[in-house]
Amino acid sequence: MVKWILAAGAAALAISTPSLAQQGGGNKGGGGKPDKAERGGGGGGKPVRVEQQGGGKQVRVEQRGGGNQQLRVDRKGGDTLRSADKGERMVARSKGDDRIKGGGKDSVRSAERRSDDRDLRNLDRDDVDGRRLVRFDDDDRGFRGLVGGCPPGLSKNPPFCMPSGQFKKIGSVLPAAFSSRMLDGPFQQWYRDDDRFFYRNDGDYIYRVNRDGGLIDALFPLADRDFSYYPIGMNYPSEFDQYNVPYQYRSFYPEGGAYDYRYGDGAIYQVNPSTNAIQSIVALLAGDLGVGQPMPLNYGAYNVPIDYRDRYYDTPDAMYRYNDGYIYRADPKTQLITAVIDAIV
Amino acid sequence: MIKPWMLGCVAALALGACGKQSEPAATSEPAAERAGDKTLATGLAKNAKLAAAVKAAGLEATLAGPGPYTLIAPSDAAFEKLPAGALDTLMKPEGRAELTAVLTHHILPGTILAADIGKAIDAGGGKALIATIGGGTLTATREGAGILLADAAGTRAMVTAADQQRSNGVIHQVDSVLMPTQ
Repeated sequence: MVKWILAAGAAALAISTPSLAQQGGGNKGGGGKPDKAERGGGGGGKPVRVEQQGGGKQVRVEQRGGGNQQLRVDRKGGDTLRSADKGERMVARSKGDDRIKGGGKDSVRSAERRSDDRDLRNLDRDDVDGRRLVRFDDDDRGFRGLVGGCPPGLSKNPPFCMPSGQFKKIGSVLPAAFSSRMLDGPFQQWYRDDDRFFYRNDGDYIYRVNRDGGLIDALFPLADRDFSYYPIGMNYPSEFDQYNVPYQYRSFYPEGGAYDYRYGDGAIYQVNPSTNAIQSIVALLAGDLGVGQPMPLNYGAYNVPIDYRDRYYDTPDAMYRYNDGYIYRADPKTQLITAVIDAIV
Repeated sequence: MIKPWMLGCVAALALGACGKQSEPAATSEPAAERAGDKTLATGLAKNAKLAAAVKAAGLEATLAGPGPYTLIAPSDAAFEKLPAGALDTLMKPEGRAELTAVLTHHILPGTILAADIGKAIDAGGGKALIATIGGGTLTATREGAGILLADAAGTRAMVTAADQQRSNGVIHQVDSVLMPTQ
């Protein structure tokens, strides 16, 4: 499988260390106007190979060690992109109309291919803009870090790495086309409609809509990119600078304390409220399981926390898996996730 | 000559990323209270390089929080098997994103004991696929009486000490660093 990501940091690992080449050794949540009420609330690395092709259009760096240690980064330009395929990435992180409705594994893979096609289009566009791409070959789920060279929710088109123009929709009426697009997968548990807000998505963003007036109150990037995290030290994007911690983690990372907490594409960040600098990653979320979705094939191993194992153990009729604060029950025969059984954080 | 990481910083500079030192961070009181005293974060006494990497990536609070996670902990010797300079590069401020990606390839959602992996291997006809928190997959197989974990590139990490149970998860010591790429 081939993964493409923009060079930004990834190439740093491969290329900013000349010694490597010479040694041979070796979701998203919350934009919009702050709401005061809610705010409170293989060792040995042997050969290292560097290839440059096409007048700098393609750079390949490989680090291999002990016959089993390999890190390869390809950077390409021009029209040499290959189609991406998530391969064994079985997780149904569906979005919008690509949502998987109780389908089997084939449908999951199909949906993921669609998702990758979308990513590839974006990357093609980046390339046309003269930006550099990094490709990670990956038979597995792939390494899609800073897609477009930018952390989640930021534009891969000029001006680069700035919040997308989507945020301009804050304060506007939710487009009718999105009014029926409910959150799916894990997000339906993380962001629940209440008396004040409801949540919808367009495949790229989650919209928090104020019931009073129906205006978009906040916008969460729904980047869904593997291994894509904001590095500590950078400022949290101001356009997404709203309290948006998933529901199940709010008691641990509340509003109104000494720090701000923000959720973005797989992690909850601790942010200095004065400088807006990300100080720490306080929790990691997988976002892999959701009711109605097939159990991903890479959840074969029982992972229920110790204190809950006497209550939730696999039987011929039910299997239990933990994810992001919840214990899910699935049907062993159909592998469909049928219910959220317990919230444990 | 402009180097790729410099270009990476150009993008990041717009966000105030490059060169900025983060301030020391701790997990929140409710999270620390829930996690207890003997957390994954405090269970790395024999993993100095990993502990330093976790700190550099800003992941200490995650390992000191409620979790639960399964931490695949490469030994210091495992890090020494990386190509010379690789870890140093990852530990630089401009390498934080990649360092975080590498580390999250060693963190699994939930508590997975060695016996759980063994059962999954048996049920899977000799191998089991295990999701990492960062979006990757490790492949587990049996190797003699032990368990072998492999990344997509085929890097093999033997579990050398399993089931070090902590208040917010479990640690399995391994002898190689796994990478989220091939």
